[in-house]
Amino acid sequence: MKKSYIVKRILYSVFIFFVVLTLNFFIPRIGVDDPAERYYPPQGNMSDAEYEIIKELTREQYGFDVSTPRQYLNYLSDLFLEGNMGTSFRSGSPAVTDLIIDRLPWTLVLSVSTLLLGLIVGILIGVVAAMKRGRWQDTMLLNASTIMVALPAFFIALVFSFFLGFEAELFPAYTNPDMVSDFSWSLDSLRMVAYNAALPVISMAFGSIIGYAQGTRNAVIAVTGEDFILTARSKGLKPNAIRYKHTLRNAMLPIVTSLGMSISGLIGGQVVIEQIFNWHGMGTLFLEANNTNDYPLMMGIMLLLSAFTIVAILVTDLIYVLLDPRVTVGEKR
Amino acid sequence: MNREQTNENMLAVRNLKVVFPMAHGVIRAVEGVDLDIKKGESVALVGESGCGKSVTSKSLMKLLDTPPALMRVDDITLDGESLKDYSEKKMQDIRGRHMSMIFQDAMTSLNPVMTCGRQIDEMYMRHQGMDKKEARKHTIRALELVGVPEPKSRARNFPHELSGGMRQRVLLAMAFACMPKLIIADEPTTALDVTIQAQVLDVLRDMQRTHGVSLLLITHDLSVVSNIAETVYVMYSGKIVEKAPMKELFRTPYHPYSEGLLKSVPKLSDEGKQFVQIPGSVPHPMKKPSGCYFHPRCPYATEECRQSMPPLEKRGEDRLVRCFHPLKHDAKEAKTA
Amino acid sequence: MTDKKLPIQQRMLTFLKKRAIGTGRFFKRIWAHPKGKIGLTVVSLLVIVAVFAPWIAPYDPYDVADRTTKGLTPSLQHPLGTTINTGVDIFSMLIYGTRISLIVGVTAGVCIAFVGAILGVMAGYIGGFADNLIMRTVDVLLVIPSLPLVIVLTNVLGRDYWIIIFIFVALGWGGLSRNIRSLVLVIKNSNYVKAAELAGASRWRIMTKHILPGTSHLLIMSTALGSAGIMVAEAGLSFLGLGDPTRISWGRMLAEAQGGGALLFGHWWWIIAPGIGIFLAVFSFMRIGIVMEEVLNPRMKQSTGIHKIFKTLSGDYINEVFDSMEETEQPTTSERSAAKA
Repeated sequence: MKKSYIVKRILYSVFIFFVVLTLNFFIPRIGVDDPAERYYPPQGNMSDAEYEIIKELTREQYGFDVSTPRQYLNYLSDLFLEGNMGTSFRSGSPAVTDLIIDRLPWTLVLSVSTLLLGLIVGILIGVVAAMKRGRWQDTMLLNASTIMVALPAFFIALVFSFFLGFEAELFPAYTNPDMVSDFSWSLDSLRMVAYNAALPVISMAFGSIIGYAQGTRNAVIAVTGEDFILTARSKGLKPNAIRYKHTLRNAMLPIVTSLGMSISGLIGGQVVIEQIFNWHGMGTLFLEANNTNDYPLMMGIMLLLSAFTIVAILVTDLIYVLLDPRVTVGEKR
Repeated sequence: MNREQTNENMLAVRNLKVVFPMAHGVIRAVEGVDLDIKKGESVALVGESGCGKSVTSKSLMKLLDTPPALMRVDDITLDGESLKDYSEKKMQDIRGRHMSMIFQDAMTSLNPVMTCGRQIDEMYMRHQGMDKKEARKHTIRALELVGVPEPKSRARNFPHELSGGMRQRVLLAMAFACMPKLIIADEPTTALDVTIQAQVLDVLRDMQRTHGVSLLLITHDLSVVSNIAETVYVMYSGKIVEKAPMKELFRTPYHPYSEGLLKSVPKLSDEGKQFVQIPGSVPHPMKKPSGCYFHPRCPYATEECRQSMPPLEKRGEDRLVRCFHPLKHDAKEAKTA
Repeated sequence: MTDKKLPIQQRMLTFLKKRAIGTGRFFKRIWAHPKGKIGLTVVSLLVIVAVFAPWIAPYDPYDVADRTTKGLTPSLQHPLGTTINTGVDIFSMLIYGTRISLIVGVTAGVCIAFVGAILGVMAGYIGGFADNLIMRTVDVLLVIPSLPLVIVLTNVLGRDYWIIIFIFVALGWGGLSRNIRSLVLVIKNSNYVKAAELAGASRWRIMTKHILPGTSHLLIMSTALGSAGIMVAEAGLSFLGLGDPTRISWGRMLAEAQGGGALLFGHWWWIIAPGIGIFLAVFSFMRIGIVMEEVLNPRMKQSTGIHKIFKTLSGDYINEVFDSMEETEQPTTSERSAAKA
């Protein structure tokens, strides 16, 4: 039963990916008859005849000279057969795939460390607050979370970059470009990455720490009120055994669910943070692409970010299945 | 309070009180309850829901949390050992080892993400210092004893994979695992179908008798009581209103409330007779009436009942009743009933 | 209302309708809550500031002629100084920034509630194909990272602020409609809807008169929380320089501060001021939303209350309670029978 649920879940993710893929293909085509107009908008000092020629060239270069369904099929076959997401507008016409691959690890460094930091610290704080329910530790978390949820991560990042970066000079307020250009797998190099990543990671993790802490606290308190915890206590189990084997194991379930949901926001929000610290990641690449109307590049990044989210949600769902023996076909979602 | 504590008592509780302070007042859940359970005896605590019987059962094991509950007791002794001043840590060694509990709803009382076997293993590992393998051997035996077929594979099942009756048996096996001195069963069969109910009760009674374990059965269901209990305490709105040997209570209830409870149980022999219900409901624990708590629902209430609370008085051998006007039964009626 | 001659279903319906529509006292309930009071006060202050911005602000930040020396530090004339790059009074920008934040946030929040309610009720009540279509769309919306998608769409559709509102609404209704749908599934199976169906009410009538009012609490809560979320998103978008280029917003102020050298010259107030603006707006709307949640879910409130009660309990009072339950010296049976005789 469980196996068929997992297979269904994976197939559904593939289906969602195809829908996203199709949307991705059509978004640049919204509102224009000819995608060439989107790729190369008319310039003021251009005559109609000149523009026609330019459109013709654009069509040829980006394969718009065939019918739209044909273009769609070409898009799919390029993507799946050659891993080709198109050609960027940048000088030298680099492949979108290459540009992205250059930035991908740098973005992942930020996302993964933010996620880990947020989860570990957040869950720890949440468990402590739940244990000290109603006491100052708990009240502090509650107050911190009411304030933190109203502070956007990018504002925290700005404040950190100002006070910790510019004023206190604890960490670099802008990423040192040498970090990327001189990167090697040496200890010094890794230390430099950590040093430069500190502020972006902390400012992104700040909000998620509080969020996960609050979520963990509520989940732990909810589970503590369950009958089976009373059973565990009536068995004379030690408080630590109850906490780790009974309470936390069950409290993880809602946390895992919310984790899947929060990942999409985390990935999207990173765009702004990368911009503030001038981080050499996909977020800054995306904004550069947006500023130059580099659609192939923009849509390529969008596709990859969506794929990440789909995989992340799928993974959290599968973790959920592992943690909760009750899940069978169609029970979740 | 007024009875000698003999050393044949397995459990003796003196003057147990539990309150719940709330924003709008204090809920008086248990108001000075005395309980005595002899060794190997099975005692039932009977009352409608909301009368404080579940709170009593939890407070015996000191399982109530403060907050929200506040508990006071003159003494709790288990097999001559006074638990009154035991710390939480010491209570942890008592729970499961010497005193264990069976809860009402096995579905919610078992950890949903842990196998049933594992949850019983925990008892042996905690109280008898066994390792996992040894504990599992004992678990399988324990499951066998309570009549679980194929105990080896059932032990590997999660609670949701078992039927309601099987789940309840798992709870029984868990409670009997360390052969405690006392088992408190809080509505152990209420969540089950009637046929399954009878099976589970049989297992409970057999286990209790063969192993000489004392049993405190908390229930609202008098048919369950007649199956198992030797002595019955009737509780109403936080106070004991009557204590009697089971057969005598069924034959000659002294308290009007006990009478009402008995009348509301349909019997086969009652065919055609009117099915009687006690009018009204248990008073709100924050707004208890003056005098005898039962007087608003009592057909025999007098001015005296409205004014003051009757004491719990001895009336005949081994019987107590809290009523100014206990019911009178002539000898003839008592015999034929 | 108590006309006994009406059939029972009819009477039940009128009763339930009255209860469901009793949401008019909502603001009163929020106001009754200390957290809600803060939220409502700050929101009304912000609305006043937004409406009367031209009278409150000492300068007109849109007026190119109304600019002075660049990079002034805070003084009486310029409570928050002037910008380093353009010499605009920062305090006035802050005042005017309220407008765009509130307009975008509240409009989008309300529209999302509207769209989310309609689609959620349709998915839940009609079910079948409509349900499938709507819920699969939600799944897609929830996996595409929203900020990049918003950016792409503004690039394609334009950056006028009402286009931005439209995009936020088009992308933002997913979570709400999913919640509404599960609530509708509960309501749909409740006895009063069944009674209405038995009484022969039309589907449309049941949807509008019975199911929609049942979701009103959730809707108002989500409107408040949703508006707060949109304000953050709008600030982020303008911070990236991708908001409406013709309007002053707090996000854009932050972007200008970062780009205009606030960090370099140590003009921290230029960064903090719009941040506080965003914070106040988001905070107050969230307060209202959270109070709504507590009204919806009283269990949450009570749990923290008990600890407070226990903190204030005095030992004397508790002793008194316990002693009052003590059975004082009882008159013995003989005494009583003596009294009776």
